[in-house]
Amino acid sequence: MTGAAIRIMIGVAAMALLGHADSPAWGMAARPPLVGAPAPEVALKDLQGKEVRLSDLRGKIVLLNFWATWCKPCKEEMPAMQASYDKLRGQGFVVLAINELEDEGKVAEYIRQYGHTFPVLMDHDNRVANRYGVFGLPASFVVDRQGIVREHIYGNLLTEERITDLVRRYGGPGPSAHR
Amino acid sequence: MTFKNHRTRFLRDGLVAVTLMLAIGMVQQAFASCGAVTCFVTIGSQQQVAQKGLLSANFIYSYTPMTLPGGTSGVIAEADTTNRLIIPNHHRELSTITNSYTVDLNYGLTDRLGVQLTVPYLTRKHEHFHLHGGADAELHQFSDKGVGDIRITAKYNVLPTLRSMLVAGFGVELPTGDTNQRDNQGEVIEPPVQLGRGNAGVIGSLYHTYEVVPHRLNAFVFGSYRHTFKNNVGYQFGDEYILNTGLNLVTVPWLVLTGQINYRYLVHDSLSARRGAGPIVDQGVPNSGSTWLGVAPGVLLKLGDTWQAFFFAQVPLARDSNNNLAQGTSFSFGLTKYFQLLGS
Repeated sequence: MTGAAIRIMIGVAAMALLGHADSPAWGMAARPPLVGAPAPEVALKDLQGKEVRLSDLRGKIVLLNFWATWCKPCKEEMPAMQASYDKLRGQGFVVLAINELEDEGKVAEYIRQYGHTFPVLMDHDNRVANRYGVFGLPASFVVDRQGIVREHIYGNLLTEERITDLVRRYGGPGPSAHR
Repeated sequence: MTFKNHRTRFLRDGLVAVTLMLAIGMVQQAFASCGAVTCFVTIGSQQQVAQKGLLSANFIYSYTPMTLPGGTSGVIAEADTTNRLIIPNHHRELSTITNSYTVDLNYGLTDRLGVQLTVPYLTRKHEHFHLHGGADAELHQFSDKGVGDIRITAKYNVLPTLRSMLVAGFGVELPTGDTNQRDNQGEVIEPPVQLGRGNAGVIGSLYHTYEVVPHRLNAFVFGSYRHTFKNNVGYQFGDEYILNTGLNLVTVPWLVLTGQINYRYLVHDSLSARRGAGPIVDQGVPNSGSTWLGVAPGVLLKLGDTWQAFFFAQVPLARDSNNNLAQGTSFSFGLTKYFQLLGS
């Protein structure tokens, strides 16, 4: 290979170091990212059987979280999601926890056991996850008030600090404005 | 985001991508040719089905040399398509080197069905000696550049679960590459060295990927079969079987290490020709066909929300090319860019 080609590759590696480092590289399995694109519609029923639509939440900042009860990292990040939901919902922050491919009874029992109060939606046939290119759990998407996907988070657990930072970055007034 | 903003961003990003590709092309001094073979690493962004309305574009550069494996003489038969003759022991092969610059576009028609367009631009250089009485006579040198055979593939995501994905593909290869280029001695070079195959082909493929540890460790398998129909000079390329398998490891957020094992089996080519004074019949071309086994380590680098770069080296472990040239250590370097063409 020519020296020029090697220099180009070094340059690309340098660009990678300066690039977006919050979420992992796509690897062989990841499907195309939706960041910067309008969020695909979500129209799913919650545990009470009521349909919830993402389009009805325009004007709010939404955290879409794809999860399952068998997914250990999913369960580990739920307390942070609950705490953030409690603290930030007054600023228009919404969590939609989208359960994948599980039975409603089992999911309802889990949610009751851990006292989560954010909306839980049931994606029985994996259609919404497929639409979002979800491959592997957990996976989260931050949708801003205009309905645009701003972040796709996977491979790293959500923390309360991180969620607060995301809301501050994409959701308008942050929590500090209300202290 | 309005359609106008989408279109502007698409045009801007496309211009950046094309500029980068041209920059990569301009610094490549060596011509390389691959004879009848091309590099065949599995690149995930090529295999996947994009979501509805999403376009993924891959810009791939590959350098593929073909040289003589140790213990081979390179003395092979000539497949003379002009006179429909097979002449044993008439060439002594030296090398074939190919540079390929490929644009590969994947578009999601639905969330499960996608269409892929692959357009290769090739530069190829080849050398061999004609033998007379077993000794080197005149040196034949060949070079050509242009678009190769374009491929159109339909792909369907048949098992999209959260850890396992299976993509079935069916493609058609169109005879758009040059098949009539002459060497420095004025002779039409043989079909395996031409940029195109001279007739259509069909390709079936299966790609399966599984999240062993979600978002950390992924395993994949890829298999394909290609059949090319006989062209108008009576030459038919042998069927091609490819089997690749490998692992991806997400290390730090912007870096994935990948490694794969590559296997390719090529059936003998055939030519409607005579041997000596005999009749014209379909017969196998001696010294064609091959088996190739190698490894391909690589890296994937995340450059931004919608950009990714990758680099592979494809290294042979075992080669059997029937005394002919065989693919040596090859390199592929590429960029992937994603575009949202249609709103959800």
